[in-house]
Amino acid sequence: MEIVKKRTKPTSKSALAKSQRKWASGFIIAAIIIWIFYTFIMARLPDALQSVVQNWFPPTALNEALVWVICALGLNIVVGYAGLLDLGFVAFWAIGGYSAGWFMSAFFRQANIHVFSSAPKSLPGIHLSFWMVIFVGGLICALFGIIIGAPTLRLKSDYLALVTLGFGEIIPQVFTNGENIAGFNMSNGTKGISPVDNIGVPGKSLGPFDFSWKFFIFVLLTAFMVFISLRLRTGRLGRAWLAIREDELAASMMGVPLMRTKLSAYAVGAFSGGIGGVAFATHVNGVFADRFNFSISIILLAMVVLGGMGNVWGVMVGALLIAWINSTGLPAFGDLVNNTFNTQINFPSYNFLLFGGVLVLMMLFKREGMIPESRLKAILHEADDTSTNVEGGH
Amino acid sequence: MPSALVAENILVKFGGLTAVNSVSFDIPTGGIVSLIGPNGAGKTTFFNVLTGLYKPTSGTVMFGGEEITARPPHKIAAAGVARTFQNIRVFGLMTAEENVMVAMHSHLKAGILGTIFGTPRQRREERESHEAARSLLEFVGIGKWAGEYARNLSYGDQRRLEVARALALKPKVLLLDEPTAGMNPQESKVFIDFVYRVRDEKQVSILLIEHDMSVVMSVSERVTVLDQGEKIAEGTPAEIKSNQRVIEAYLGKSKGEKA
Amino acid sequence: MTILSRGYQARLSRRRYAERTLGTLASFGILFWLAINFVKSPSQFFQASLIGLSNGILYALIALGYTLVYGIIELINFAHGDLFMLGAVFSANFISIWFGKSSSSPAAWGIFLACLICVMVLSATVNVGIERFAYRRLRRAPKLAPLITAVGVSFVLQFVGLRWNGSGPKKWSSVLPAGQFTIRGVNIPFTTLFSIAVTVPLLVLMSWIVTRTRQGKAMRATAQDQDAARLMGINVDRTISFTFALGGALAGAAGLLFQQTRGLTSYNLGYQLGLIAFTSAVMGGIGNLQGAVLGALLIGLIQGLNDGLPIGLGQQWSQTVVFSILILLMAFKPTGLLGKTVTEKV
Repeated sequence: MEIVKKRTKPTSKSALAKSQRKWASGFIIAAIIIWIFYTFIMARLPDALQSVVQNWFPPTALNEALVWVICALGLNIVVGYAGLLDLGFVAFWAIGGYSAGWFMSAFFRQANIHVFSSAPKSLPGIHLSFWMVIFVGGLICALFGIIIGAPTLRLKSDYLALVTLGFGEIIPQVFTNGENIAGFNMSNGTKGISPVDNIGVPGKSLGPFDFSWKFFIFVLLTAFMVFISLRLRTGRLGRAWLAIREDELAASMMGVPLMRTKLSAYAVGAFSGGIGGVAFATHVNGVFADRFNFSISIILLAMVVLGGMGNVWGVMVGALLIAWINSTGLPAFGDLVNNTFNTQINFPSYNFLLFGGVLVLMMLFKREGMIPESRLKAILHEADDTSTNVEGGH
Repeated sequence: MPSALVAENILVKFGGLTAVNSVSFDIPTGGIVSLIGPNGAGKTTFFNVLTGLYKPTSGTVMFGGEEITARPPHKIAAAGVARTFQNIRVFGLMTAEENVMVAMHSHLKAGILGTIFGTPRQRREERESHEAARSLLEFVGIGKWAGEYARNLSYGDQRRLEVARALALKPKVLLLDEPTAGMNPQESKVFIDFVYRVRDEKQVSILLIEHDMSVVMSVSERVTVLDQGEKIAEGTPAEIKSNQRVIEAYLGKSKGEKA
Repeated sequence: MTILSRGYQARLSRRRYAERTLGTLASFGILFWLAINFVKSPSQFFQASLIGLSNGILYALIALGYTLVYGIIELINFAHGDLFMLGAVFSANFISIWFGKSSSSPAAWGIFLACLICVMVLSATVNVGIERFAYRRLRRAPKLAPLITAVGVSFVLQFVGLRWNGSGPKKWSSVLPAGQFTIRGVNIPFTTLFSIAVTVPLLVLMSWIVTRTRQGKAMRATAQDQDAARLMGINVDRTISFTFALGGALAGAAGLLFQQTRGLTSYNLGYQLGLIAFTSAVMGGIGNLQGAVLGALLIGLIQGLNDGLPIGLGQQWSQTVVFSILILLMAFKPTGLLGKTVTEKV
């Protein structure tokens, strides 16, 4: 009973480490170059060049793309590492945002708590420092990650997806209706909470227009999430996650506690979403309920799928690409085409086609992602393999 | 302790179907025993009860003096009952080394924070796990494939990997589910020697489910026969070979009764 | 009797006890809430129930599509609700724009009937096409792949709806007879009766196809065991296509009914109602046809009561209520009301 196998390239530990180092250095160098450009060079460019840059690579788009990367990395842990199809990740983005709204603004007028905050002491409300709120928001989200994950633990992948989807709908709706929940206002409803405090760093207070410094901070946060993802991957938790993704049953029979391990995936992933949510709140200077909808969860999924599920650097690239196309690429390209050919095509409205198309085409033709983590190539092409040793899994 | 694992009156019903009918069974400490029977006899079901995959309708399983009957599988595995699978279930996309290290999960202590910040204790744990995994791979004979994806290993090597992985649980009892399926007689003989080595050097008691009679007869100290969910015989290989009921179970009733 | 360990027995009975108590408390709570509302305003109670049930009928048509497909290939066709949406948009264009009918008349009803046939054929074809292009290749792939693809297809269909119908909801006038009965303060619109008049025969036809025809038998066999069915000579591919066609046709019909009874189309209609319909299918027991109808009527009822009763959470909590039900179902009774608990054999 000989079995035909696909030969996947084995990577020795040193080769893997070298590839990681390549990506990490590339990332750092790119970040430094970009930061230098936007802080020092851009203002000095001739007007025509400046407007081209502004049209195609505005710093706001860059910062927003980084927020997407942070959230996508979180989803990557849940879907890419542990194989749990979470379709409601927007919930964590929302909770993160509202954490900023609660702890970094004048929302709670009744209180007047200032802890290392950049806001003036006279301002009412709870004002924790940005760095504390990042942490607090992340923790709150981690808690909700566990709450959301708990009902899914025994479910098959399709039902699991639906439960997460359900939460992804419920939580934003709670915030939308949150102006009056049993008489208590927890979200200002559709009005949202605005403004949020500036980010305080030694010597400066970064407001909504300090793009290049914010870029630097967002890069730091991204690097932090990349670091966490990679560290966990090489430890026992990462191995447990991958084992669950591949064959849950065998994993449990090898001593891996399924529930606890899955919950930790949700928790860590959600933590990341929380960080992204807080960062985003400072980016748009507020948190607004109507921004949180199902398409965000799907866009994040498309980013993870495009980048290669489980591949941290791939997901980063995929996220940057899709975020940029969605916010800037499509509109700018549309303007270019329309101006050149005198057409009236509404390019931005094609984004649904983009996301849906990415998901469908990637699944049909390149399931391992654009930048395949070589191990994933095999798992998603099991259909082509006639061997019998692929039983189990979902 | 004379018996490493004791199962008493295990009854398993799936709806109206009785898969295992009040079977009692034990694995003597340090012994190598086999469980055989025609297809559908309930061997795998019984096996799954021992490892916690199924909860029996009634009956108890005792291990190391404690009852493990309805404990979740990962707890039973962590307690020291390890198994391999009839249809190989290695984690294809992890290296052989990682496969073995997965099974060490319950023995390792590093948490999320420890892993992220690389505390000395976590790093030491990881180092020791890598070494232990590699030595287990050496023990089963596939040390050179440590960095290879399990999916790429040959069939026989995958079986060895499964054993190495099971042994990583530091088990007291090792359950092997049709370990020689697909092996030729030469390979089976090598495997028999291997089973002895495992028992002697790793101090485990071993239970095999097997179809290959030559393997069963040469390696087992005691053979138990199941047929249609019932234990119909138990004894030394010689006794079983000449047991009328066993012969009938495998070959069907005598010619005259076949219409 | 069962001789499980004392510890395990204790844990099991404590858990069952807790679940049963919670279940009983919840049921009493719900009955109490219903009773209060009923006493407060019986006519409003009945009105809300009626509205709910008429929604439920629509959900039933959509839910059947979900449950048929899930029953046969164990896939949640996320795109199914969007097919319903496209059916609605198509019907709006067919009746109001292409044939220019905007009020009730025998000619208009003829167009309605023609539309019914066309939309059902069209939706069936689209659904079969989706299966052929997007799902068929992934039939043996690990579950993650077709699920993700289905989500992608859903977005592609929403894109079509976006282009066709615009980014906001559109209003349309109906060709169904306006007006209503009023019995004791409860309004029964003619359109509701019309819906019932269209839906019930469709359901009966469905039931007949599944239980009496050869294709229906093939469907049931394939749903039970694909490989065995293939060995029995059943063309599994064609059977699956047929299933998608049936489900699609029903979704299309539901789209037409919705568009004519509510007079509304919107590109994200499918997403909202699709999930509600799926919850109905799960509630009734996924794979179970009668269950889908039952579940749909129940969910419609619950939703109607929540939205319309004087003491209720109101429409802004509608999604939350339905999804909470879904989550509770999945967590505690994933097999639904009429489904069987399956012990999975390893």
